[in-house]
Amino acid sequence: MSVEKSRLFRGGRIASAEATEFVPEDVLVDGSGTIIARGKGFEVPADAEVIDCTGCILVPGMFDVHVHAREPGQEHKETLATCSRAALAGGVTGCVLMPDTMPPVDTGNLVKSVMDLVSEQSLIPMYQAGCLTKGREGKEMAGYSGMAARKVPMLTDADHTVPCPYLMRRCMEYAKDFGVLVTSHCDTPPLSKGGAIHEGLTSYRLGLPGIPAMSQEIGIDRDIRIAQHTAGRLHISQISTTHGLKSVQIAKEEGAAITCEVSPHHLVLTDASIRDYNTHFKFDPPLRPAADVEALVQGFIDGSIDVLASDHAPHTEFEKSSEFISAPFGAAGLETAVLLIFDRFIRRGVFGWDLLIERYSNAPRRLIGQQPAAIREGEKAEFFVFDEEGQTRISSDCMRTKGPVSPFLGETLSGQIRGTTLGSRWYPVG
Amino acid sequence: MSELKPRKDLLDIESLDLSEIEYVLSNAVPFKQLFQRSVKKVPTLRGKTVLNLFYEPSTRTSSSFEVAAHRLSADVTNFTVSSSSVVKGESLLDTIETLQAMRSDYIVIRHKAAGVPGIVAQHTKASVVNAGDGFHAHPTQALLDAMTVREVFPEHQGRRVVIVGDILHSRVARSTSTLFHKLGIEVAYFGPGTLVPAERHGFLRRLMSWEEVFDWKPDVIYLLRVQLERQEGAFFPSIAEYHKMYGLNSLRLNKLRQLNSWLMHPGPVNRGVEITDEAMRYERSLISTQVENGIAVRMAVLHWLKPENGVDS
Repeated sequence: MSVEKSRLFRGGRIASAEATEFVPEDVLVDGSGTIIARGKGFEVPADAEVIDCTGCILVPGMFDVHVHAREPGQEHKETLATCSRAALAGGVTGCVLMPDTMPPVDTGNLVKSVMDLVSEQSLIPMYQAGCLTKGREGKEMAGYSGMAARKVPMLTDADHTVPCPYLMRRCMEYAKDFGVLVTSHCDTPPLSKGGAIHEGLTSYRLGLPGIPAMSQEIGIDRDIRIAQHTAGRLHISQISTTHGLKSVQIAKEEGAAITCEVSPHHLVLTDASIRDYNTHFKFDPPLRPAADVEALVQGFIDGSIDVLASDHAPHTEFEKSSEFISAPFGAAGLETAVLLIFDRFIRRGVFGWDLLIERYSNAPRRLIGQQPAAIREGEKAEFFVFDEEGQTRISSDCMRTKGPVSPFLGETLSGQIRGTTLGSRWYPVG
Repeated sequence: MSELKPRKDLLDIESLDLSEIEYVLSNAVPFKQLFQRSVKKVPTLRGKTVLNLFYEPSTRTSSSFEVAAHRLSADVTNFTVSSSSVVKGESLLDTIETLQAMRSDYIVIRHKAAGVPGIVAQHTKASVVNAGDGFHAHPTQALLDAMTVREVFPEHQGRRVVIVGDILHSRVARSTSTLFHKLGIEVAYFGPGTLVPAERHGFLRRLMSWEEVFDWKPDVIYLLRVQLERQEGAFFPSIAEYHKMYGLNSLRLNKLRQLNSWLMHPGPVNRGVEITDEAMRYERSLISTQVENGIAVRMAVLHWLKPENGVDS
């Protein structure tokens, strides 16, 4: 294998979570993938490849704690390889894999086998999460010791809640001894069962069975109480409701070790966006009304929401081309997350890059016990080049994921990711 | 009659404008007059094909469309698919392929999943008529209901209709109240809180008791069929209690008689549940008229829609 050349990222401005101002500096990455110089006027090796970043910003690589890469078992939707390409195209340089594969990842051996595949197939670091319960069935506790030994970043039944509060209590108590984060998809299955979209005016108008907001809210309240009782760490995935967010705020004020995440689609779409039974808008938790979206944006800004996570959930176009009620939940999200937040919020001055970097790069890494990625001398190169003046048309042809279903297909978003660098490799987009 | 934009499909009531509604309702009148003649057929759709595609059993609506198509001289194919044979999810696109290959001019479709007629319409050149999709819409029912109300009330503006029963799961309630609203007919709902959508869903007037119903002086009382399986969903404790609280019995019927109210029901009726045997014999019942008007309205709809295939050269 040939040794990579040095690479100079010249003429860009560097963004960070610590400052709202960009710093106009060049970055030199050596052949081993380490940043060896940052600044102006430093000496550059004669054979260094120059990446012209004029007019662009350099942003630390994002980290996504909620990704369904579908391998093993559903490789027709996505593979670790295609998922990693989608991530890089979206400026994401690391992620946590949900364990809702086939079979579900609920033992140490399965964690190891996926992690072996990751090292062979993936272009980015991926960390396989383990199940809270055997087979994600919500009936028996899974074997945490084996999975903890394989360094799972979190235990979660992915898009299932643990239906029985007794079992959830024992799971949290037991997981605590291993120091592993518990992530919960908070829900109350008897209330959400059979539902397809948020219960409200739109569900009534479309004649679709609804998922009431209280289904998530009661789930959040329950899991917060269990976390407080067991003094365990709890991460709440995919928060979508105003009252759920209020419960998180109160728990945080009370000092509970609670964190939560929101997805880009819950920040930019409402249930009223669902037109003509377009299944690309079918999510679990469902898209909520405008008042909830406003509360979530506020929570994203004020820190009640810690983390942005895409819930990248690719499906084939064929699977999504069915009756709304029977279509699967979810859409691809890795490639659109940064662009959407830029287009809808940063470009409009709602908040800055510093906040996005905190929520989508630093906080997610801290959540699973990793160091934030910084564009700093001596660090591994892990950043992407973003052109704020560019535009990106979202189309299934251009997406890297194997399951390019997205509610944003056909939209042209402001901003363009020119490419992502990870270690010694540079992955241009387009 | 003013010029209308040609319309390919009839999927819901929401998307219809008043001129279209007027066009269909006024065209239904001469079609209905035809029924009094010994020859009830007109050659309007001679050589055209109508495919009746029912994914949910419905003798009434299916037959009504069949009769309507026959009276327009169309060729009719009935295709009833038992829902058990439809494999979840993967069937829809294949079905559409098959339908397109059949080159029907009109597809009348009923499906248990809301939105399916719209998806079929997007993928076929045939005119698609929604004959009921999930809880979503049943536009020809709404049109026949409007025709029926206008027959007894030529000045229909400001007339009052109470819809009684399971509003939440009723495509009839959705489509009919949307249409009545567009025509300036006032609608109120009466039923248990579990089956009447919450006030926060906007737009509705809810009556809380038969006394309130009578005080509101409805011109029409519109009973919905109660699905017996709702009891299992804990929407009400028992059929007996439903009948006691919301059923139309002779006592309540007498009050309606004093108010000169008319009675409607989309059928089929659950005798002894939403209505007693005696109330079925009410002299101001419009239930059979609804059936007859159904054929006329469906003829008017088929006559109105313009398929995109089979352009005659």
